[in-house]
Formats: sequence, structure tokens, C-alpha cells
Amino acid sequence: MSSIEKLVFEFEMQKLQKQTRRHFLMDCVGKIGGLAMAPLLFGCEPGTNPAKPMSLNLSDRDLNPLSPLAPPFASKAKSIIYLHMAGSPSQLELFDFKPELVKNHNQPCPESLLEGRKFAFIRGVPNLLGPQANFAQHGESGAWVSDFLPHFAKVADEVSFLKAVHTDQFNHGPAQLFMQTGSARLGRPSLGSWVTYGLGTENQNLPGFVVLTSGGKTPDAGKSIWGSGFLPSVYQGVQCRSKGDPVLYLEDPSGMSRDLKKNLIEAINTVNQEEFNTYGDPEILARINQYEMAYRMQIEVPEVMNINDEPESIHQLYGTEPGVESFANNCLLARKLVEKGVRFVQLYDWGWDTHGTDHDGSIDKGLRNKCREIDRPISALLLDLKQRGLLEETLVVWGGEFGRTPMQENREGKTMGFLGRDHHVDAFTMWMAGGGIKRGASHGKTDDFGFQGIEDQVSVHDIHATILHVMGFDHEKFTHDFQGRPFRLTDVEGELIRKILA
Amino acid sequence: MLDFILPLLGRFHPLLVHLPIGILIFGVLLIFLQKKGSTASNPVIRLAFLLGAISATLAGISGFFQYQFEGFAWDSVQNHLIAGVISAIGSFYLFTQIKDDTFFNFKIKLQVLFLFLVLTVTGHLGGNISRGEEYLLEVMPAGIQSLAGYEAAPEKPLEIPEQGWEELVFYGEVVQPILNQNCKSCHNPRNLKGEFNLTSFEELLKGGENGEVLKAGNPELSALFAKMILPLEDEDHMPPKEKRQPSKEEIELIKSWIAAGASKTNTLGQGGIEEKLLEPFFHKEEIPFYPLTEVAAVPADTLSKLRTAGFFAETVLQGSSWLKVSCINFADFTDKDWVLLKSVKDQIAYLDLNGTQVSEGILDSIASLTNLTVLKLNQTGISGNQLGTLATCKNLKMLYLNSTQLSLENLSAINQHPSLQKVFAFQTPAGKSKNPGKFSFELETGNYSLPKIPADTIVY
Repeated sequence: MSSIEKLVFEFEMQKLQKQTRRHFLMDCVGKIGGLAMAPLLFGCEPGTNPAKPMSLNLSDRDLNPLSPLAPPFASKAKSIIYLHMAGSPSQLELFDFKPELVKNHNQPCPESLLEGRKFAFIRGVPNLLGPQANFAQHGESGAWVSDFLPHFAKVADEVSFLKAVHTDQFNHGPAQLFMQTGSARLGRPSLGSWVTYGLGTENQNLPGFVVLTSGGKTPDAGKSIWGSGFLPSVYQGVQCRSKGDPVLYLEDPSGMSRDLKKNLIEAINTVNQEEFNTYGDPEILARINQYEMAYRMQIEVPEVMNINDEPESIHQLYGTEPGVESFANNCLLARKLVEKGVRFVQLYDWGWDTHGTDHDGSIDKGLRNKCREIDRPISALLLDLKQRGLLEETLVVWGGEFGRTPMQENREGKTMGFLGRDHHVDAFTMWMAGGGIKRGASHGKTDDFGFQGIEDQVSVHDIHATILHVMGFDHEKFTHDFQGRPFRLTDVEGELIRKILA
Repeated sequence: MLDFILPLLGRFHPLLVHLPIGILIFGVLLIFLQKKGSTASNPVIRLAFLLGAISATLAGISGFFQYQFEGFAWDSVQNHLIAGVISAIGSFYLFTQIKDDTFFNFKIKLQVLFLFLVLTVTGHLGGNISRGEEYLLEVMPAGIQSLAGYEAAPEKPLEIPEQGWEELVFYGEVVQPILNQNCKSCHNPRNLKGEFNLTSFEELLKGGENGEVLKAGNPELSALFAKMILPLEDEDHMPPKEKRQPSKEEIELIKSWIAAGASKTNTLGQGGIEEKLLEPFFHKEEIPFYPLTEVAAVPADTLSKLRTAGFFAETVLQGSSWLKVSCINFADFTDKDWVLLKSVKDQIAYLDLNGTQVSEGILDSIASLTNLTVLKLNQTGISGNQLGTLATCKNLKMLYLNSTQLSLENLSAINQHPSLQKVFAFQTPAGKSKNPGKFSFELETGNYSLPKIPADTIVY
């Protein structure tokens, strides 16, 4: 600091020290007065006429946030059913057949694969674990599907496999967040929120984004994986209960007629409308809207969420049992919701985290039981959508949040009582089917042990970009302004997986 | 040592040309402004033509040097030069014709006007050379542009065949088209911004005023590529930020071309290009799903009327005229309500009447929708005995008749429909028949089942 700068600095400091409360108040007299004067003269926005009340520039969309919008580009699908297997199923027992892994069963994992890598639980040098299922090729496409999924094997021609998906999160919560919101940190809108934000929903008597869970628990990442992040909260997923009343307190209490309810809601809305006229707060409109929506939902939700009236043949197809919480019931509900014009149906099935710590978490037994629970329902869902012509307009996505290691888990370096696999981020399998997706395709290849993708690897962002594409969006242009910059679902990444597009 | 004098003089051409223009126009104006019978301004007019003639000569000489030293093609400057010479000579001639006592008769005024015209033409041709021929047209309304035969995007975007792309010459058939589309308008023989011309491989090798732009094998050190990846705000970013920007896929291809050695003759196959890089440019014969004919868009108030009436009504995509109309929240829709849709009958391309109260008669009304592409009549009382009337829907591709009373005989009535691709007849008498037979369209009758197997019940 030069000597002159020092002098100036000292002068400023001394000046500040001599400032007193009275100086401050004195300043306020002039300056705060000026501030107060400005809006009186010019209104809050300079250039607007203060005599006129501030005009509320509310669009149709503000008043009806879920009203449908046309997609920016030609879309192949109008709805999505996303089947998320929370906990992450083993690709090596289901779709990614590795004969080399059979040969090297129980051999120590080559050091070259382990170098510089971290696993959630594996320590030291684990042994390779050969596939615990029998594989065969199925259908015209010759897709590899194991005997863990005998029904699905029959419909494998309907789907496009992504065999070399990779993620960068090896813990359930962050990985689920990443898979569903495009970021491992909290605060981003979920895929379903983006889609309903961009397209609204067709049926105005039902929510646009419905979430159903099964498997006894909700996913580790909690409700933020169907949250709306920085988008308006009206776009968050509506979780319906899988057992009992789908939505609580939806039925009118006994003794209250529908007319009485209608009068009640109209009265509330009139008061709210007056409030809006006075204050012009758009949140009030959102509230009016929600009351109306709830009133309309009372009719349609119990109807669409009731699977009792489905014909016996359909129950047999899905393996559904009304009244219990099951993945099968949720699959049937998903079909019914999509048929009724719901934009996004998200299914979470819990219990796929097969570390080998106990019977349920074992690769050869527990996983097989989980597979039995979804095998018939997912196959039935695809067939049912197909026979109704809904598969033409519905995108079905299946996957976990990551994959599982080709090595047997050795938690804390010890041999475990059951066969299990650790979390694996480098390569796993997902599949998509339906609107805009090729039938019977397989994209991507993994190395001999299924450890890493060696061809056509796709990232989570790529999958998001592709999902948005079939819904009629350019993922690079579909943005929402927040905190001073436009945000995208795919952030600054994501490339369309062209090879699986029909 | 004084080699720079002449090129420097050449560079003064853009300055000097304005002198004769200003001075001569001043003289011309005085001639026309002078009162009849007066010769008061004649000395000034004479002086104006003399000075105009001298400055025109100077401008011509400097222009000639510029042409000599700056590499303009003769073809492009020829007319400008001839017109310039005529202007200079014309001014001298008029200077000699006009005396202090000359009255300006019709003949001399005509000569003056001719000089003015030649001067204008000279200036315009000069402007064409320095600013490009489209300089004025670029800002004109589209109507005038098309009248003048000017097209906003004359260069076609790059397209690569999906089969046999390995044989394409990397430079000639991939890189050059990208350069043509994104860079050529400013870097061509007529418009040599930065003294850089990239209309041919040889010119590209020469580089521009800052030297070579290519360093084979090293894209980062090649200005051609490096300037494209600078931030858009950077002064040196190319193309300038207000111009059309190349796509990131195009930039990627230029990068790989330089990385592969920037060869003129190598093919894509020899350049070791991954197919992935080319995919975005593959030509796809995509047949649009909705009709190609154009109809007027539905006015916004008509749309909101439809919505108020209870329909879901929205264009199939933003900016399209085709309308998707659905009765998803209008289950009470009956044949009588058809009047509500009459005003948009040309625009309806997707009609969903699932679960409504319509009867057989609705098919007659639907038959008037010439652009209808998707028709959904699931869960209605339709038996399909009027189905033949849909022959007038020449664009119908998808027909949904699930859970109706559709019979096989009635379905036959639309066999051989020209455009129909798929009919859904799940849960109908037609769908239940054992052997529905062959149709011109794909018939989906559903009834899928997954027979019970032992694995369904084995618990491990």
C-alpha cells in the first residue's frame, strides 16, 4: 500500500469513527424520505402509471398451473411410467450375461480393476462371483434374460436395453437423487416435475404426477426424489397410498352431501377471490385452484385407484390381489392412471439391495424372491399397455439407481454368510420401452467381467436427455430460471441416445 | 524501403472515395437550385466540378492500388473501376463545358444527371465489394428479400449418408460444407475479413492476416478451431457472436479433422472418425406423423372456447396447426355436441372420444375430418356398421376401438383404407374371434396372457 493510500484509508477510518447515531438519523431524514417518495411518484416499476393499480400479468398458466401445454417438438410419448427398483438389482443376475465371470468364479478379482477405486463395503481384494442365474437368449432380438425373470423373457422383444449405464454415486440416497433429479444434491426438481411443468397434464381431475411405492419402505433418498425442487410446488409428485384409501380424507364424512361440499368450497373460493382482488397474490389463485382440484378428484380418484372392478383376466395377467400393498397392484394402477391421462407415474419398489448380509439380501435367494414379485407385473404391464394401444404413447423406464459388483461382497474384509454383491457405479443395465423407443434393441457393452462399459456407455444425464426427447423437449433448451441462471434437468451434460430411438 | 507507400495509398481508397461523392453532389445540387436566368453560382459550380474531378481521379488511383495489393479478383472490381473512371472523366468534361456565363439548359442538365447516376452506381458497386452484395438486403423485410431472389440461408446444412460414410472425403465433403455454412459469408474472395479466405483448401492453408490457422494434428494450436471454442463474449470468438453459431457437433468434426492431420484427400474412414460423431448429421427420411398439408392455425379464442366447453384442446406441438382434442374430462359428450367441434374440423388431427356417449351416427360427422390421423373410440357404444364412412379420412393412421361392439364384418369395411396403419380391437367381438384374417392394416386384438408357471409360486 502506498503512503498516499494509507493516508486516505486513515482519513476514512477517522471519519467513520466520528459518525454517531445522530448522523445516521440525520441521513435517514433525507434519504429514507427520498426512497419513500419514489414509489409515490413513479409506482413500484418506473414508467408505470401510479394512478392505475398495478396490473397483474397473470397468464392462463398461472391460474391453471397444470393445464396442458403443447410440447415444443414432435413427441412420441405423452406419458411416462418409471419403474424404479430402489436398492438396485443385480444386472449380472438379470440381463448382463458374462461367461468369463462363470469361469472365474471365486477367483480373486484382478488388481487392475480395483486400482484407485472405492466401494461402499468391499475392502481389500474380493473374489469374483459368477452369475447365480441361468441365462438364455429370448425372442427375435435374442436378448439375454436370466431364468430369474421367466415371464419378462417372453416380452423382451418390446424393450431396448441399455447395458452400459454408469453413474457417479455409490450410496443409495445420492444415487437415487441423481437418477431422479439429475443431481446428487438436494434441491433439484425431479424428472416427473420437469415433465409436468413442461407439459401440464391432460386429465384435470387427477394429479399430473403420481407416485406409488411398494416393498414395505420408501426409497432411502426420501420424498425429495419426487419433489419439485425450485419449480412451483404444484408440480411435485403426489404420493398415493398403496393400501387402503389411496388419498386420505378424500371421501366425504358421512352425512355430508356432495352439494353441501360444493357450497362450502364455493364459499371459500369466493372469499379467496376477494382476497386476491385486494392483494393480487398469485398464491391465492393457486389455493383456489387446489380446492377445485380436490373437489374434482373426489369423483375420479376413487374410481381410477380402485382395481376391484377389473376383469378376472386382468388380475390373472398381473397377479394382482386387491387390498394388499404390492408391486403388481401398483403396475395395474399405473396402467389405469396413464389410461386416464396422468402424465407421469412413478413406481418405487423397495428391497433390491442384495449385499448378502442375510437371506433376503442374498443374490441367489432374496433377489430371486424379489424378481418373482416383479416378473409377472412388469411383463403384464407391457402386454396390457400394448393391447390397449397405450404403449404407442407411453414410455416405460425400468432400472435401479446403480448396479452391483462382479465381485462378492466381503464386508469389512470378512467372508459373508450369504452370496451378495456391493454397489457398483461403472456399469449396470436399464431398459426402456414404448413410445419413441426401438423394439428389441440392445445398446452398450461391458467388459468380460461386467465391470465397466466398453462400448456405447450412457450416463444418467444421457438417459434424462432421451426421456425428455421422446416427450418432445430439447433437453438443452428446456430450462427454468432460478438464482440468476437457467437450470436444466441435464445441467451441462447429456447426450441423446439416438440408437435406441425408433 | 518505400514499398509500403503504394499499398498505404490503396488503403486510403475508402476515405478518398467520399470526397468526389460529396463535392460533385454539391455541384449538382447548385445547378438544380440556381434560379432560372441567374448565373451567380457558376464560379462555385465550376470549382465544385474541378475539385470533384481531381478527387475522383485520386480516388481512382488509390482504388487501383488497393485492387493491386489487396488481392481483389478482377471480376469483382471491374464494373466499379469502369464506372469510377467514367465519373472522373465526366466531371472533367462538365468542368470544361460550364463557363461563368453558362445558362443551364435541358441538355446540360441531362448530362449532369447522367454523371450523378454513374456516381451513384460507382458508389453502390464499391459498397458491394466492401460490405458484400447482401448488405442492404439483409435488413429488408422478407417479402422484398424474396422478390430480389435473396435467400437468408443459402448454404445447406451438412448431411451425411448413414451407409458408406467411410468413403466421404473428410475435407471436401464434411469440413468444407461446415465452413461454407458458418464462415464463408465473411471469409470469401469478395469479402476478405481478416484477409482470410476459406473457400478452398489451398486458401485455408494460406491463413489470414495473423498467419496460419491450421496446425495439423493439434486443434488447440489451430486458430481455425481455437477461435470457435473461445467464450462467446470473447472479442476473438469466431464466428462473431451476432452471427449464426456452428453446432457443437460441427465444431467437434472440425477438431477431429485437424487432429487427424488436416489432410485434403483423406476419407472419413482414414481419419479414424467414430460413427458417433457423425450421427447427428445422418440424413433421416422421416415421414411426419401428421399430414403435410397446411391449414390455418386455430385462433386462440376458439381454443379457449373449446376448453370452456369441457374439451382438452391443444396443438400437437408448439407452432403447429394440428389440434389434439380429447373428451377426457367431458364424458357426457354426445352426438349433439359435435357442433362445438365444427369450427375446427380442418385442424383436428387427434380426436379422443374414449368413454363418451356417442352413437354410431358420430362416424358420419367424423368422416368430415379430412386431416384426422388418430381416432380413439374406446369404450363407446359403437358397433362399427358405419365404419366404411371413414374412407374419407385420408390421413387416418391409428384407430382405437377397444371395448366396443365392433364386429369382424364391420371391420372389413375399412380394409384397404389407404392410410390406416393400426387398429386396436381389444375386448370386442372382432377381437375375440379365433381367426380374424388378414387386413391391410395391423390389427391388435390383445387378450395376452402369461400362463402360470412353477416359478410363480416358488419361494426361495
